[in-house]
Amino acid sequence: MKGFIYQLKNIRRDKLCIVSFLLPVLAGFAVSLLSGVNFSSLSETIFYVMEDDLPDECTEWLQTIGTVTAFPDIASLKDAVNNPATQAIGVLKDEGGIRTLLSGDELQIYTVTGNTLPQLYAERNNFAAAQVSITPVAENRDALKSLLIAITMITAMFMGCTFNAMSIIGEKEDGISFINEILPMTKAEYIAQKITLGFIGGVISTLLTAAICIRVSVNQILPFLLLIVLSAFVAALAGLFTGKLSGGLMTGIVCIKAVMILFLAPPVLLYLTVPPGSFMHSLSCLLPSGATFYGLMDLLNGQTQGIETNIIVLSAHCILWLLLFFAAERSKAGAGSAK
Amino acid sequence: MWREFFALLKKDFKLMLSGRFFLLMTGSLILYSCYINFIYAGLDQNIYPVYLYDPLCVHNETSSELIKVESSEELQAQTGDGYAVGIDVSGKTPDISMISSGISSIDQYRAAYAMSLLSSKNHTAAEIIGTDNREMKSRREITCELLFFELAAVGFLGIASVLFKEKQMGIIRVHGVLPVGKTVFILSKLLLFLICDLVFSLLLTVINLGVSEGFAVLPYILLQTGILSLIMALTGFSCAILLRDFKQFSLLYLVLAIFITTPVFLAGQTGTARGWINYHPMYHLFMAMKNAYRGIPSENGIYYAICGLTIVLLSGLVRRTLIREMAKEG
Repeated sequence: MKGFIYQLKNIRRDKLCIVSFLLPVLAGFAVSLLSGVNFSSLSETIFYVMEDDLPDECTEWLQTIGTVTAFPDIASLKDAVNNPATQAIGVLKDEGGIRTLLSGDELQIYTVTGNTLPQLYAERNNFAAAQVSITPVAENRDALKSLLIAITMITAMFMGCTFNAMSIIGEKEDGISFINEILPMTKAEYIAQKITLGFIGGVISTLLTAAICIRVSVNQILPFLLLIVLSAFVAALAGLFTGKLSGGLMTGIVCIKAVMILFLAPPVLLYLTVPPGSFMHSLSCLLPSGATFYGLMDLLNGQTQGIETNIIVLSAHCILWLLLFFAAERSKAGAGSAK
Repeated sequence: MWREFFALLKKDFKLMLSGRFFLLMTGSLILYSCYINFIYAGLDQNIYPVYLYDPLCVHNETSSELIKVESSEELQAQTGDGYAVGIDVSGKTPDISMISSGISSIDQYRAAYAMSLLSSKNHTAAEIIGTDNREMKSRREITCELLFFELAAVGFLGIASVLFKEKQMGIIRVHGVLPVGKTVFILSKLLLFLICDLVFSLLLTVINLGVSEGFAVLPYILLQTGILSLIMALTGFSCAILLRDFKQFSLLYLVLAIFITTPVFLAGQTGTARGWINYHPMYHLFMAMKNAYRGIPSENGIYYAICGLTIVLLSGLVRRTLIREMAKEG
């Protein structure tokens, strides 16, 4: 306990360290301020049309399956379709129907949409003969906002990793690690202190971020807290690994950067591109952040079916990483005594 | 003067070498290239899979895209992911079932698309008006983003690591009494980092865009790299002199990475919030880099004038800060 108080005193002197834990909170605040931006329109199919070109009936039909933006002339429409930042489909009037324009660099889903749209329009009345039953899920008008919140929350949990890694590297650079070796403190005590600090920091940072960005219902509180606690623990452990492996500040930053990319990029990309339940989707659970990310997205979308699986996966990660850390420490100690 | 300049260059190069700066750049280059080639370039989003349950074999001439299932239970199981669509034609009218995606227009389109697959008509292909394919577009976009991040955030960090090492070793204090101009001291560092950034841009572009595509856009990219590299190195230089230690600086770097580069990526990628982002200076640098990757040179004279003025002002600021720091060091 005394050692832990010393560690806390050490942080208190370093005000910027505390600021680093508050960074995700500020990011969360910025995300919640973006409520004025209609993110849901980004998930919809975008159709670009020319003013006074398509019949009203066609424009109305397009509005039922996506968002429609009108351009004054064909040149500006083609420029907009060609803009690499969009996946928009150009729609023009054709003999008795419509024809479509694509830039050719779209994802397969939009290429198929562009190719099939004239047929869908021609057969729109056949569609009325079918019976459509859509099982509703919690309305999610802001899919991208949920995504940004989940990314901010994972960053907050990750702060424990950054903090622990920077703290250990700083101790190495200042020579404190040598002093630690002669202090009346066991290795296990030192590890426990470091994990606790990163863990508590990560949990507080995530809870503050969550308080700003999201509202959870009563039955979601327990799984949500479990997700935060387990993820912050794994992140604190990952920080210990990173700190131990890094020789200096520069290599430490490279390692933190690599871990950060590895933690954030695969779950987000797989979430955006791979349908749930697929093999690739399951593969993302090999990373602790994968289970956290999918758990958070489920909670944000009002689903709780898969949350138990994510918590089990995260618990398995906690045990596995801890065992790995102890095994690494033991082999290092063994190598040291052999010398 | 030239002898001193080359001596300083040699010293800075050795410092960068011992600070593992080249290792950081090589590591980043390998990491980014592996990510682009093995993960990002292959990413795609497939059209909704459509499953058909047709026990009476009523629909024989359907699209090849339809996946037939043997029972209504199987149909339900396959369409439970909020993405796939099921068609049950065991009754009088086709029954299209799906779990909602959460956005009604997307659900409407999914249903209409599924219905269209019941006929085997060939679709009329859309007119292609662009020159890139999906993979090349992805490569251009992600390479541009990673290069921008590397130059904006990591370039900023690199020069600071060298300066902090010099501070620690007392080199800044020694320079205060050496007969070497302050401008030469600044120039030697800037030149080395500029060369490193240009080489990094060249390699990242050629490795990930390919030789012919890469060299076609390289002149525009190198110009934008030069501008961004100088601005970031000068900013990093002044921050490194003003801040107490590298740990504080690395936290400033975190602020820069989260609050300066993230909104730029978000706005550049999604086209949202166009109004406010125009006041973000980095957004214009990012868009110029993005256009360079598309082979479009920035013809805006005001942009280059502002960039030039910023570099001149930052250089002046760095020189003043350095003189003040040397005076403080005694």
